[in-house]
Amino acid sequence: MTLTLQPVRVATGSDEEGMLVFDEKQRLLAVLTHLGDQYDGLTGHWYLEAGFGRLETHDQPTFADLEAAEKWISQRLAKR
Amino acid sequence: MPAPFPPDHNPLVRKLESIFPLHDDERQALLDLPMQVNVLKDDQDVVREGDRPSRCFVILSGFTCTYKATGDGKTQIVAFGVPGDMPDLQSLHLKVLDISVATLSPCSVGFIQHEDLWDLCMRYPRLTAAFWRETLVEGAVFREWLLNVGRREAYHRMAHVLCEMLVRLRAVGLAEDHACNLPITQGEFADALGVTTVHVNRVLQELRANGLIELKGERLNVLDWEGLKQAGDFDPTYLHLVQERPAA
Repeated sequence: MTLTLQPVRVATGSDEEGMLVFDEKQRLLAVLTHLGDQYDGLTGHWYLEAGFGRLETHDQPTFADLEAAEKWISQRLAKR
Repeated sequence: MPAPFPPDHNPLVRKLESIFPLHDDERQALLDLPMQVNVLKDDQDVVREGDRPSRCFVILSGFTCTYKATGDGKTQIVAFGVPGDMPDLQSLHLKVLDISVATLSPCSVGFIQHEDLWDLCMRYPRLTAAFWRETLVEGAVFREWLLNVGRREAYHRMAHVLCEMLVRLRAVGLAEDHACNLPITQGEFADALGVTTVHVNRVLQELRANGLIELKGERLNVLDWEGLKQAGDFDPTYLHLVQERPAA
């Protein structure tokens, strides 16, 4: 599956830099947020702010980089 | 060997007295309970789900969490334990533990053999009532946590649990006015509140930014108690304390 990323600003109150993730039919799959300075070990990581459909989870993961996020999303979509 | 505490500072006595008035002879009987004291590091299981213990433990110092896990290993903390609590008191009547208890900080715990507790309860029926009351209050706390996790937003959830910890610690003499030590990491709060560590971080920032709390390392200082209570929708009635201090 080919994913498309589109930069976006997210109004979380602290972390604003984010990415919208679309599938090849331009359907919105997820919103990723780039974590700011206050997170100690997680600063600079990407957080699954919201996931839709198969990406919906109570346990939103964080990823070291966008590549890792895309890999997780693809794997999750391929599952089930 | 009895725990090395002056009678006024014995955590078990303090805890029971916070929810049940004790007579002198009952207090003495609790102080005389044979107890094996163990010192544990942080992040260690004290008891595990499925265990069949022949003893219960009292937290003498430090913090614990009571937790359960899903089949695929996701953990939910269902309660925090503070000095004086007996997180596995249920094992006196229920033979197989349905919970695990782990240390959140270095802890000193006192193990009491079931037979000694049975003997104590036979000799002092009012103490049986006190332990019964303790388990009922524990149930009330679980119900409040269910409401908290199920229906309150993360910001209010966090405010609520901070209020609860402060009031419970104050009841056993471990909080000064509106400050206490709280050796609970953001990851542990996340497991207790059913949100991610990122979310815990954000709501703590928000509580700080709103001037309600100050959190430096393990030290919690509540700057605006009324405001925090309001944010947490917190009413201490469910803790059923004999005497709630005016500050709360």
